[in-house]
Amino acid sequence: MNNVIAKSKDVTLLEILDRVLDKGVVIAGDMVISVADVDLIYLGLKVLLSSVETMEKLRGSPFIGPMQEAK
Amino acid sequence: MTRQQLVYLYCVADREPELKETEGLADNLYFVCNNGLYAVAGKVEEEEFGQEGLKRNMADFEWVKAKASVHERIIELVMADTDVIPFKFGTLFNTNDSLKVMLEQYGEEFEAILRKLAHKQEWGLKIYCNSEKLKTSFSNDEAEILKIENEIKSSSVGKSYFLKKKKDELIEKTLNERINECGQESFELLKELSFDAHINRLLPREVTEREDEMVLNSAFLVDKDEVGDFQNMVDTLKMYYEGKGLLIDCTGPWPPYNFCGLSREKVQNE
Repeated sequence: MNNVIAKSKDVTLLEILDRVLDKGVVIAGDMVISVADVDLIYLGLKVLLSSVETMEKLRGSPFIGPMQEAK
Repeated sequence: MTRQQLVYLYCVADREPELKETEGLADNLYFVCNNGLYAVAGKVEEEEFGQEGLKRNMADFEWVKAKASVHERIIELVMADTDVIPFKFGTLFNTNDSLKVMLEQYGEEFEAILRKLAHKQEWGLKIYCNSEKLKTSFSNDEAEILKIENEIKSSSVGKSYFLKKKKDELIEKTLNERINECGQESFELLKELSFDAHINRLLPREVTEREDEMVLNSAFLVDKDEVGDFQNMVDTLKMYYEGKGLLIDCTGPWPPYNFCGLSREKVQNE
């Protein structure tokens, strides 16, 4: 049953980064490595968060609002 | 004196994980147990993952790609025999004792999350839009657009200029409507077949490296017994939208990264 829908290699890397760097349980261990530091990767990837937000606003995304509230 | 090492936490499981197969992916992979919870961890160099090193390395995309892939593969291997709580990339502790303290501190929360995740899988659904293809697909059957086109043909230069502008606006409006319809419909149909569902922020082209624009980024927590139905629904959606400029991309099963949030109060108290 596993992997019925094949993971193509390129997609997988994007999917991995989208999850591993952005999601998962966040606990600041006993070190002072803040989540903000880890988020630097998005700057490295030229993904300026503000530009992502702007894009979402431009798109309008009317279906995102109500559904997120409903979760 | 040996070089300073740190403890890197990958995931927490509620059964003793089999770590043999993970050999070669990371050095010194082991688990720390506390009250029936097993934290899968590995030793990493302070130089590489300490505050300074991590900051430096996070700017190196190749390093991030390699390490993020290892992080994912280790969790996937553990996930093969037990439910897991995946941790975010770069969760580090100074010692096994401090990891154990964390397990003790969050034990009840972790157990509650693992109960919720039992017998379920995370699946991801992203939708990409090729605007030109989508425009072509609806321009020939939208009555209003066809009507304006006809009017343009029989209009003066001045009037047709404004009619063209009106037509372009109508096309843009229809484009957004179609995208939202597709996103909303897909998300809601799949949510019906899921235990839980989330919409995540869209990723721009610089990250996806696709010409088509991402218009939905979502994740679903699906009961293992429902995965077949879930996939059938994905196939139905794919077939319906095929050739209409909307590409549906489903991947999984993933560790449940999107569905193991700690309650807000607890995190704020830290």
